[in-house]
Amino acid sequence: MTKTLIEKIWDAHTVVDEGNGRSLLYVDRHMVHEVTSPQAFDGLRANKRKVRRTDLTFATMDHNVPTSNRSLPIVDQTSAMQVKALERNCKEFGIELFDINSPNQGIVHVIGPELGITLPGSTIVCGDSHTSTHGAFGALAFGIGTSDVEHVLATQCIWMEKPKTFEIRVEGKRRNSHAITAKDIILSIIKRIGTAGGTGTAFEYRGEAVSELSMEQRMTICNMSIEGGARAGLVAPDEKTFDYLRGRRYIPENYDSLVEDWKENLKTDGNARFDKSFTLHVDDIVPQVSWGTNPAMTIDVTGRIPFPDEYAKGNVEEEKAAAKALQYMDLKPGTLVTEIELNRVFIGSCTNSRLEDLTEAAKVVKGKKISQKIRAMVVPGSQRVKKQAEDLGLDKIFKDAGFEWRESGCSMCLGMNPDILSAGERCASTSNRNFEGRQGAGGRTHLVSPVMAAAAAIKGHFVDVRELDLN
Amino acid sequence: MKGSAIKYERDNIDTDVILPGPYLKIHDYNELAKHAMEGIDKDFHKKVKPGDFIVAGRNFGCGSSREHAPIALSYSGIKAVVAISFARIFYRNAVDGAFLLPIEVEEDAYKDISEGDQLDIETSKNEIRNLTKNKTYKMKPFPELIGKIISAGGLFNYKP
Repeated sequence: MTKTLIEKIWDAHTVVDEGNGRSLLYVDRHMVHEVTSPQAFDGLRANKRKVRRTDLTFATMDHNVPTSNRSLPIVDQTSAMQVKALERNCKEFGIELFDINSPNQGIVHVIGPELGITLPGSTIVCGDSHTSTHGAFGALAFGIGTSDVEHVLATQCIWMEKPKTFEIRVEGKRRNSHAITAKDIILSIIKRIGTAGGTGTAFEYRGEAVSELSMEQRMTICNMSIEGGARAGLVAPDEKTFDYLRGRRYIPENYDSLVEDWKENLKTDGNARFDKSFTLHVDDIVPQVSWGTNPAMTIDVTGRIPFPDEYAKGNVEEEKAAAKALQYMDLKPGTLVTEIELNRVFIGSCTNSRLEDLTEAAKVVKGKKISQKIRAMVVPGSQRVKKQAEDLGLDKIFKDAGFEWRESGCSMCLGMNPDILSAGERCASTSNRNFEGRQGAGGRTHLVSPVMAAAAAIKGHFVDVRELDLN
Repeated sequence: MKGSAIKYERDNIDTDVILPGPYLKIHDYNELAKHAMEGIDKDFHKKVKPGDFIVAGRNFGCGSSREHAPIALSYSGIKAVVAISFARIFYRNAVDGAFLLPIEVEEDAYKDISEGDQLDIETSKNEIRNLTKNKTYKMKPFPELIGKIISAGGLFNYKP
């Protein structure tokens, strides 16, 4: 029987098949962070349970840690308590922790691949919805809540209903890979299929434009699968995948023989059928900017803010939602995207905080100054990314231009640490969610790629990065 | 199960508005409840009564995997969310922790229910009775496994 890659990984991890598509799945890797784990550890203690596979469980602190000077204590007491709780829990249960002072600390979805914890063909869970990021390596990776975190800690297994398979094809070859980024590809996909388009499915991203992407770019795409409503999203592994992971700290000793096996097995069979399919041509993609309060409310940088009826195309509910979004965002229909003035710029998050993101943004920034009315920050995804960037002198390029260069963490993606927007502030952000209040109560978020964010920081308003003179 | 409806006429009510990020540091569930729905409805904690239901549109609970979202609603007194559809992780969290019932209905039922309507949800019959309007709507039956976990009182009480 022919199978898709998603089905192959699913079947290989099924411990119990209850029938009707329900299975108990084995979990190969479990990533833990400080915000969604405390109650899970409390539950283990209350029931006198242990962590079943401490060798497959890894922890770090990323969501609420400050991105300022790490030699100082955490000022926010509730954050400090959550960080302490994770330290205590990891010590008590014997879990390896990359703490706030570790050279391996960083956003959980940045450090997993970076340390070789993420492997092709594996099942990965984490108490965070952007766990789909790891799918870039051909892993089946699910975000879970705290009850499931506890269940996986105790049993290394999870009950799951088998997702339907959804093929997302991106055809063609990018002509300007500096300006048309992975972020623009995934925003274009979500714009077309909608925020619930992938409900009940897992995506497999395929096609020439996907093969051509680097590993870091594939991570950006898989990261936002959840924004299209999917349970997971993956890309079949290839030579780029195997080369990226080779030599990393936690890869198995028999890596090369595993690669031979992966080459053979980790692909969708030639005539396998997907439950759904969607195709996009990369020539139809230009730099994207979100205008509303969910990631599907996105338009081309060359466009104008839509009128609610024009956006909704006859759907009454959508029209109401668009009107509400415009009100929250304080935008007038008909306004050119490039006329939108900004106060803040954030380059970071599990979507866009890796070395390549920073390198590309630095090309835009080099030798220029940010607009006087803009406060801009770069928050590298991990301590390793930060160090690599500093070795390349990127920190100096950003600082000379007027950017703040900060320590690694989730930062202004979700407003849990001191990096937040004030009410009414408008931000060009490389993160993944433009929900109301996401970056701070009353804050207004526009999702863009790192190069678009960098260009906006220089000009003080959105600008088509294709028209920017890099010299 | 009887209670009155608190209605939000919108789709895509995300977990960031159900429980905004800054409150994820709070461990006391009753404290969390004070901030439920704060992202779109600052008066929610004043108007909600024990046993109430939330009624909303499509893709309720999309976004973050924070279990704090169903917890905050549950400790506010919400017994069920009646929506056209749910985002997967919210749905799962609600059921696993036995915090509230995620109940899916057809669009007609969602449109018909008004703020303040008295509802009687009878999951054994897959029915919702609108006592105010004297009407009955169908709810989508829970999938088999979900039904078993709900009957058991959450994931940790469920024995396959």
